[in-house]
Amino acid sequence: MIAVYVFREKLRSFYGRYDVFITPAVRFLLGFLAFHLINGELGYMTKVNNILVELVLALVCSVLPYGVMAFLAALMILAHVSSVSLELTAILAVLMVMVGILYYGFQPGDSYLLVLTPIFFHYNIPYAIPILAGLSGSLTSAVPVCCGTAMFYIFQYVKQNAGVLSGEASAELIQRYAQIIRSLLMNQAMIVMMATCGAGVVAVYLIRRLSVKYSWAIAVGAGVVVQLGMIFMGDFLFNVSVPMGPLVVSMILSVLLSAAYYFMVFAVDYSRTEYLQFEDDDYYYYVKAVPKISVTAPDVKVQMFNRRRKGSAREEGYME
Amino acid sequence: MLNESKIKLMTGISMIEKDKGKDLAIVHRYFKGDYIGRHMLCAFLGYTFCWCLGLLLVAACKVEEWFSLLSLKELADYFVGYAAWYAAGLLVYLVITFIVYFIRYRRASLTMRRYLERLKNLERRYEFQGKIKEPGREVRKS
Repeated sequence: MIAVYVFREKLRSFYGRYDVFITPAVRFLLGFLAFHLINGELGYMTKVNNILVELVLALVCSVLPYGVMAFLAALMILAHVSSVSLELTAILAVLMVMVGILYYGFQPGDSYLLVLTPIFFHYNIPYAIPILAGLSGSLTSAVPVCCGTAMFYIFQYVKQNAGVLSGEASAELIQRYAQIIRSLLMNQAMIVMMATCGAGVVAVYLIRRLSVKYSWAIAVGAGVVVQLGMIFMGDFLFNVSVPMGPLVVSMILSVLLSAAYYFMVFAVDYSRTEYLQFEDDDYYYYVKAVPKISVTAPDVKVQMFNRRRKGSAREEGYME
Repeated sequence: MLNESKIKLMTGISMIEKDKGKDLAIVHRYFKGDYIGRHMLCAFLGYTFCWCLGLLLVAACKVEEWFSLLSLKELADYFVGYAAWYAAGLLVYLVITFIVYFIRYRRASLTMRRYLERLKNLERRYEFQGKIKEPGREVRKS
């Protein structure tokens, strides 16, 4: 176990030394993944569906805040959808503007969750993102996670119905609007997953803030249980069935990811917890202090006393 | 010779300026009521704009239903329902906005207090050092 802690300390010191390069690199990678996912799922506009565009946009995002990445991703989605259906583009644009004004008007600074959530869904580990958001973010992190979930289901909808949506003479304009809005907003699988993710974030956040031992580990467990419960409720109430095999595998992967995050961020030693009590003019303080686990990396120095020289007697003898 | 504690103090002040500069600017520029009121006004305008956009979407779906209503009174009743939803949503949104910006201003005030305490501490140090460097002047004063 000590070796793992030493590895963590090494990682930390490495990040501390090269954070100027690591942070833009991570942003670049995240941006590239997001744009690549959008192009892969929706690549209807050939001008945008190009790896060069993905790289250039990711490069731009690497030096700008995550909000810009979310904005560029939204523009890319609208560009692709506009090649399929202008009605759907208008509806999506309105929904995006509403989210942008009503939630991002508060400048919450968690746009990365909006970008990360569809990526996690794409790689079949959707249950990890509510747990990670609950561990790292706040109660309001549920909003970008839910929006990201909705975005993923919109991708699926567009992908599955591209032929129908692009058909010119399928119906009248008003009927098409009504049909699209109903299909988007009344998608029960989407509603169930949004409720699952939202409940997961709230449960994990509330439990990890409790002043009990192993609160983070309990929060991860509770997040898994709550999400499973919500999925079973969705199955029972809305008849939205989720295949058991992938669900279990996804849950296990989510727990492993969350455990890795927990280990990297919140390694504390509860056995050395101290309870302090003191007072000042205004208050009595009852303090619980839990020490962090910190291990210094062994600084091994090898000092050579007998350095071999070229042409020493022994070496010369060997050469002979 | 380097004064380690003074360097720590100055570094702490610089860190607050760098990380919480935005918070300091909030307290510096606005009174609490003005700050919250300004954001509530923005929230009101933003919510109303979004509600209008939402109404457009609904209108796209239900325009035929609206035209099929027989009398103006029926139409008015229909829109009273939408107005009630608007008012309820606006109330909830404004309450959330009030809570968010109230907490932000309180946090910013705490940061400002911490920042000023450190600045005062630094100032006291400089005064103390000034007195040590000019002992003759002190003697003449006394």
